[in-house]
Amino acid sequence: MIELCNVSKFFDQTPAVEELTLSIPKGKFCALVGTSGCGKSTTLRMINRLLTHSSGEIELDGQSIDAYDPVLLRRRIGYVIQNTGLFPHWNVARNIGLVPRLLKWPTAQVNQRVEELMGLLGLPVSEFAHKYPHQLSGGQAQRVGVARALAADPDILLMDEPFGALDPITREKLQEMLMQLQARLHKTIVFVTHDMDEALRLADMLVVMRDGRIVQQGTPLSLLQKPTDSFVDSLLGGLERGLKQASLTRVKDHMAPLGPHLPAQSRVMTEQTLRQALSMMLRDHCEWLTVVDQHDVPVGELSLRKLVKEAFQAQEKSRDV
Amino acid sequence: MTSRPVHPRSAYHPIQLLWPLMWLVLLVGVVLMIPHAQTLFQWLAPDARQVIYQRADFTQLLGRHLMVVGVAASITITLGVLAGVMVTRQWGRDFLPLVSQIASLGQTFPPVAVLALAVPALGFGTIPIIVALVLYGLLPIVRNTIAGLKDVDPGVVSAAYGMGMTPGQILRQVELPLAAPVILAGIRTSVTINIATAALGATVGASNLGDPIIAGIVNANNAYIVQGAMVIALLAVSIDSIFEVFQRRLRLHTP
Repeated sequence: MIELCNVSKFFDQTPAVEELTLSIPKGKFCALVGTSGCGKSTTLRMINRLLTHSSGEIELDGQSIDAYDPVLLRRRIGYVIQNTGLFPHWNVARNIGLVPRLLKWPTAQVNQRVEELMGLLGLPVSEFAHKYPHQLSGGQAQRVGVARALAADPDILLMDEPFGALDPITREKLQEMLMQLQARLHKTIVFVTHDMDEALRLADMLVVMRDGRIVQQGTPLSLLQKPTDSFVDSLLGGLERGLKQASLTRVKDHMAPLGPHLPAQSRVMTEQTLRQALSMMLRDHCEWLTVVDQHDVPVGELSLRKLVKEAFQAQEKSRDV
Repeated sequence: MTSRPVHPRSAYHPIQLLWPLMWLVLLVGVVLMIPHAQTLFQWLAPDARQVIYQRADFTQLLGRHLMVVGVAASITITLGVLAGVMVTRQWGRDFLPLVSQIASLGQTFPPVAVLALAVPALGFGTIPIIVALVLYGLLPIVRNTIAGLKDVDPGVVSAAYGMGMTPGQILRQVELPLAAPVILAGIRTSVTINIATAALGATVGASNLGDPIIAGIVNANNAYIVQGAMVIALLAVSIDSIFEVFQRRLRLHTP
């Protein structure tokens, strides 16, 4: 549980973050999004006291972070940055074992933990343990960065545009990896990004910032359905918003039971997104698809007309709220 | 995942030890051979009555020379690295211009002048030449320490803080190791220059490899000059090639 209450940060009189109040429940994935210079990284760096907040209160599990020694506080919080910040003169295994060694774990336990994490992040020990950071690709290096942040099993993970420097394909792979990790580990994650698609894909909770203030916060779907102003709307993709919303929704949530008619030519899987289903409809010139499970057995159907109607109803509903 | 081709680190190989070893053997050989090379040196100084420098044994002169350079280098390295570290800390940043200027001044001030000024205060002997060498050798070390530390990727340092390392741990485990090749290059320059400069000590009574050179100049005896110069040059090259090996080994551990 991370709580920020009326937190402000000034750099020489210039406000970077103003009167920010935010509560991130335990185990939630919170993405801070906004344009460059909106204060999202500053907010992140105040949580592990790399920056000291000028006013307000920051609490972890109900205790003010001012009560901690900053060095000890940081050892309890995982930290991942864009350019990995791996130590170039240390090999992968030594980099990952950094925080456990700082915490004076016995060597055997450190080694065991390093191997465990390398397995978790898909880095075979025999192949990578003795490589140096400059011998790794960008994606591999950032896996090591994430492993290093997780090494001492912190409850909180702070990630500052961790995938910003990667090519789109690698980025997507690492996003996938992070989602799988989070499904197992349930860390409280604060994730800074300016890539809205990344935020929508990963986050349970979206915080849109502008000029050091929070403009809107909520679940990705709630923001997509009801952006508070034109800034949030444009950040969310403007006219593309409908499709972004569709990409967050699974086919299984909108499918109808199998109808009386013959199966359609095009098939879509239950776990695929509505966006993918819509794309198939456009591609194959059809108004409905047969939904199949992972064994390719038909389990329902998806109709364009019904989708449009449901989307309309959802909007009506959110307007009423 | 596509992987960048791995560039193998230039492998460390014992053959690299061959060069310093060769120079050292040559140095020792020359030192031992000089007293027996009467005919060769007679040819260099046909008019001289005596062609082999006799006032002291060359092994003794070499030892004293090494001692002076060694003491001066220890002081210079300690002072230079400490000063470089200090002015790159948050709290010492204000001293950066001052320290750079003092170090530059030390090198622009000719060692001969330092000797001339130091002798009245410190007397004849080894101390004034050590003072002169320390002042003269400070600049490359200070400058390279500052450059090496400033060159460390700020992202790496920021990550080190974020991981919960203390400033002392960051300096010892991250900054100094990463700056080490650059700092060592500065030490190498400083020491190599000072091996030659130390010969000036002979003018103020610090007996070392400068003695034969000064005696040669005074007595117009080219053979003495060549003997002193040859041993100094071989010593400088030997020490330099030992540094080369160290630098290579360091580079193996940093990209």
